[in-house]
Amino acid sequence: MRNSSWRGMLRSPLVVIVLVVLVWFVATFLVLPNATLLISTFFPDGRFSFRALEKLVSSERALNSLWHSFALAATLAVTVNVVGIFIVLVTDYFKIRGSRVLWLGYATTLIYGGIVLAAGYNFIYGKYGFITNAVRNVFPDIDPNWFSGYFAVVVVMTLATTTNHMLFLGSSLAKIDYQTIEAARNMGASTLTILWRIVLPALRPMIFAVTVLTFLTGLGALTAPLVLGGTDFQTIAPMILTFSKSSGSRDLAALLAIILGLATIVLLAMMNRVEKSGVYFSVAKVATPLQKQRIRNPLANVLVHVAAYVLFVIYALPVLLIVLFSFLESTAISTGTITWDAFTLANYATVFGTPAVLKPFVVSVVYSALASLIVVLGMLFVARVFQKHRNPVTSLLEYLLHIPWILPTILIALALVMTFDRPNPLIGGQVLTGTTMLLLVAYVIIKIPFTLRLLKAAFASVPESLEDAARILGAGPLFTLRTVLVPLVLPTAAAITALNFNSLLDDYDAAVFLYHPLYEPLGLAIRASTEGENNLDAMSITFVYTVLLMIIMGFTMWLVYGRGRASSTRRRTPRLGAGAAAAGAVTGSAAAAEVAPVRVPVPPA
Amino acid sequence: MIKFENIEVTFGEHVAIPQLDLEVGQGEFFTLLGPSGCGKTTALRTLAGFIEPSRGSIYIDGKDATRLPSEKRSVGMVFQNYALFPSMSVRENIAFGLKVRKTNRAETDRLVDEIAAQVELTQEQLAKNVSELSGGQQQRVAIARALVLKPRILLLDEPLSNLDAKLRVQLREQLKNLQRELGITTVYVTHDQEEALTMSDRIAVFNHGVVEQVGTPEEIYNRSATEFVATFVGATNRLSGEFLQHLRGSGGEFLSAGKNSYLRLEKVGLQPPARGASIRLDGVIADRVYQGSHSTYTIDSNGSRLRALVPENGALPLAPGVRAQLYIDPSSILQY
Amino acid sequence: MNKRIRFTAIMATALLGTGALASCATADAGSGGDDAGGTLIVYTNSNGDGRGEWVTAQAKEAGIDIEIVGLGGADLANRIVAEKNNPVGDVVFGLNNMFFETLKEEDAVTAYEPAWAGEVDQESGDPEDGVFWPLVEQAIVTVYDTNTIPAADAPTEVADLWEDAAYDGRYEVNTALGQATPQLVLAGLLAPYLDDDGDLGVSDKGWEQVEEYFAHGSPAEEGTDLYARMTRGDVDFGVLPSSGITARDAEYGTKTGVISPADGVPYVTEQIAVIAGTPRETAAEEFIDWFGSAETQGAFAAEFASYPVNEKARAEALPEVVELIESLPKQDIDYSLTRENIGAWVEKTELEYLP
Repeated sequence: MRNSSWRGMLRSPLVVIVLVVLVWFVATFLVLPNATLLISTFFPDGRFSFRALEKLVSSERALNSLWHSFALAATLAVTVNVVGIFIVLVTDYFKIRGSRVLWLGYATTLIYGGIVLAAGYNFIYGKYGFITNAVRNVFPDIDPNWFSGYFAVVVVMTLATTTNHMLFLGSSLAKIDYQTIEAARNMGASTLTILWRIVLPALRPMIFAVTVLTFLTGLGALTAPLVLGGTDFQTIAPMILTFSKSSGSRDLAALLAIILGLATIVLLAMMNRVEKSGVYFSVAKVATPLQKQRIRNPLANVLVHVAAYVLFVIYALPVLLIVLFSFLESTAISTGTITWDAFTLANYATVFGTPAVLKPFVVSVVYSALASLIVVLGMLFVARVFQKHRNPVTSLLEYLLHIPWILPTILIALALVMTFDRPNPLIGGQVLTGTTMLLLVAYVIIKIPFTLRLLKAAFASVPESLEDAARILGAGPLFTLRTVLVPLVLPTAAAITALNFNSLLDDYDAAVFLYHPLYEPLGLAIRASTEGENNLDAMSITFVYTVLLMIIMGFTMWLVYGRGRASSTRRRTPRLGAGAAAAGAVTGSAAAAEVAPVRVPVPPA
Repeated sequence: MIKFENIEVTFGEHVAIPQLDLEVGQGEFFTLLGPSGCGKTTALRTLAGFIEPSRGSIYIDGKDATRLPSEKRSVGMVFQNYALFPSMSVRENIAFGLKVRKTNRAETDRLVDEIAAQVELTQEQLAKNVSELSGGQQQRVAIARALVLKPRILLLDEPLSNLDAKLRVQLREQLKNLQRELGITTVYVTHDQEEALTMSDRIAVFNHGVVEQVGTPEEIYNRSATEFVATFVGATNRLSGEFLQHLRGSGGEFLSAGKNSYLRLEKVGLQPPARGASIRLDGVIADRVYQGSHSTYTIDSNGSRLRALVPENGALPLAPGVRAQLYIDPSSILQY
Repeated sequence: MNKRIRFTAIMATALLGTGALASCATADAGSGGDDAGGTLIVYTNSNGDGRGEWVTAQAKEAGIDIEIVGLGGADLANRIVAEKNNPVGDVVFGLNNMFFETLKEEDAVTAYEPAWAGEVDQESGDPEDGVFWPLVEQAIVTVYDTNTIPAADAPTEVADLWEDAAYDGRYEVNTALGQATPQLVLAGLLAPYLDDDGDLGVSDKGWEQVEEYFAHGSPAEEGTDLYARMTRGDVDFGVLPSSGITARDAEYGTKTGVISPADGVPYVTEQIAVIAGTPRETAAEEFIDWFGSAETQGAFAAEFASYPVNEKARAEALPEVVELIESLPKQDIDYSLTRENIGAWVEKTELEYLP
């Protein structure tokens, strides 16, 4: 029962404990440090300064970059949905030959990103890319710079950010009641009509949720525009980065970040409204598991197959290239002339020859694992309380927990160092600056918004009657949470943990200010081995590290998805494609959908 | 056994139940009947302790249970969708409440096996995952889970609504038999009047959060207290003014002229009754639907189109267009 | 059942891990606290190309245990300022004058006169207070490949690059103004045009130079080295710290030419100082005495093609490095003034002039 009464909320000791801990955490680690930093930037002499705003509106370049970021975010919201829905359909909905292989190809974006991804595409389609070269050998008139600017950035980022669709939309698709599709077909609906009128509307809530994530990624786009944007299409993130590193310009950085943050919040609020206006219920008592659809029109079938495989090649090429490049001399890479003698193991020798090369890996794995487990564990309780008790206090806390989505990581890290460099009564008089704890705290903080939103959605998809049933059988709230609810959201929690783990593994922004000198994390080690004026092998070494990271991240994903599949076959007919594993993962249990009407997850307020 | 006293339930601005007073006796099969949104489920959930009334008290066994948490009320509940825990096996589902109570393993197994036998679940089914069971089997698991703790009250929230018609009738009997066997006080929520009439000892008919009538199935059906009850429970003919006028002119003087008047289908006779007073009217058969043991005739008479439920007792069927005589006992007319 | 075991395992791991890390934290808190012993934490932005490992190994031989923390210049300076109330590092070296001026301003570093103070030109460091001391000098030069552009055809003034249409788009400009080298380029561009009445202390003419410089240049490509772009004919000119030339010529087979303007080129001097408030001040001073000595700096110069400020150490420096540096006049840049203004200059450039 959703409960808005205060009394009800405060009656449960579990809720009270969660709220007390949460209020302490939010006040100590989110509000206090960031408020102090922001106040000192916006009120330099105790008075509010309009300097940043004036500077911003008088700068054509800043406004242009800001506009580009919004344009990119808006474009991605469309293109990522088109491509993302397409790959989910061909891997999980339509009968496509080799869909398992396709899934693996599309899933490559799970294990790499950032500069390496952008560079990978650049090496293929850029000015000196081999596709460009090959095409120019045939058609010399083609502009070698064809793959740059807005177009190139949109293409690369579209392909790079379909991850969320693969994980989250795939699982929603698995929950569609197959009988509705059968019924529609029985009434003579075509494949396209069924897709358009039955399947996509049922996926709408999840499409909205991933669209928010996509929009956010677009707003924060950093490396793809730097590498591929050229002079015509630069975004605001690099400017925020530069400004946040200079104490004099920090107000501008904060202002720009807040503008992006507000846009995100407006979008969230809009999505919430749209969502509330339509309530989605699966009315099926016993939902029939989805069966893959054959595309009946032969021409369409061929076209979809071709498109799926073309997309597969586009996805897989950069990864293959990166693996290949990690075995190449750097001059061969940067000048684009690859010969057999250019192959070498020297890059690997350099990486593994570095003293104590293993330590940063261990440090980062430990930090990332701890942080992702702690944040998921904590948010399990928080999401549960938020989902159950809606009142002004929980809403406020929920908004505050989104601070890390609004402020750049660098500012958050700086704020933490400066706040905890002296004994702080809020943490029992401890000093955190210079300890190993502070980086862990930062990692936990920056992963809160993503974790919270997805876990809340997962809890929302668990039917309330399950809780009532547990309660009437005498189970306390903690027992219910542990035995009934957590097993249902566990697949989601595991997926989030893996994603968080992977994204923290090579973090640089938070670590640079916070890491303990004796425990250097991987992101810093990579930077150290690739920086330096005489280090000409920087890119090759980055590729080597990327390959190593891909191995770790691939292993993580296998732990979560690969193994989980074996046990899930007991319950469900296994669907083709490794994507089946993701089914039911993210928004709660597929089994829950089978025994009860499910409230489809709504992006929380 | 159970007493609702002066209960009011509100959700924010919305008043779901303005005033509720009810008593349910020991061992009684008591049904809350009404259309969807009438407050019957709210009443049940209030009794279960999921909803706190904004006013009034609930007594269980004479003790005030209004503020008692649901797990302390000794109630078992079967949910509309059964609310089985998908992450657990059938056995684990049934044993859940025992586990909460930290019952030892041997005792748990014994109790689960005992209740499983009562609801006719096999050992093989106990080992399965809940999603592998059919709807009817799932329903039995839900009942077993509710009963294994030996509650003094069993609450059933539309437990048959998700099943197909035949299974529904079959389970209706099994459920009733089980209840009689255990002698457990049962509160049953349904919108299906047939279910209510066949299973209940007593029925409370809900409309817009208000109880319109409480009584035995016979009382509810034959002496419907309100117009709503008359039209909601069972099928009725609404009589036109002209028809009523005619009755008043031929022996039914005691009927009031201005009221809405209803007549149950089976109270429209096509043959003179063996005993009792009746008024004869002329009519024309418009249609006949054969139903095996019965037929439903549609007859036009005195400005009313009436339906009559007539036993098929070998007499020649009346074809549409044929003139016929109707026999009506004016005292069976319900007026509001 | 399986799931439950997994869940319990995860919970246990998380709790144990937190515990372990917490105990770590308590144990290590000393490194930022009052512990006068232990490893000396050396902050530097000059640890790349194996320099960090070299310094660590050499120091160990000299009996000093150090741990290098290597970060980019701007990040490092920010970190030291942020930590100033509870310093984690003990010594910092490698940052240029501008960053050290900032650290001094923030009281994040403290004065110490090294044993080798007499062997360096104090003008290159902090002549007033002696807070930081010079180690290595570098010129920020505009380079080209004499294989493609004969030295005779090269422009003699850097400004020719944007004033002469022939070079339009043929020189690389680094737009990452958060980094040290692009900031020095900016400082070098503005230095001749300082004017108290102008915007941010620079005359309109000066800002025009900046505008033209960026407008006609080709922005650096993230992840692609200048020399890679020069070899494939993308650009002909670009800016580089002088210490990077030798290695690139060897790698790319280029023969680097350097534009030597009449006014000189910006020089940076890498400095060293004790971080204020360190409990290991004595050890830090010992490290400075050792690292700045003629012997260590000489060996460092021979190993990494640097140009030491320590006059006695210069004998060990590579002859081509010495020759290059001595052929390039020093541009007159007021670093203390630059330090005060660079943030605002970068901001203005970033907002108004970058492509």
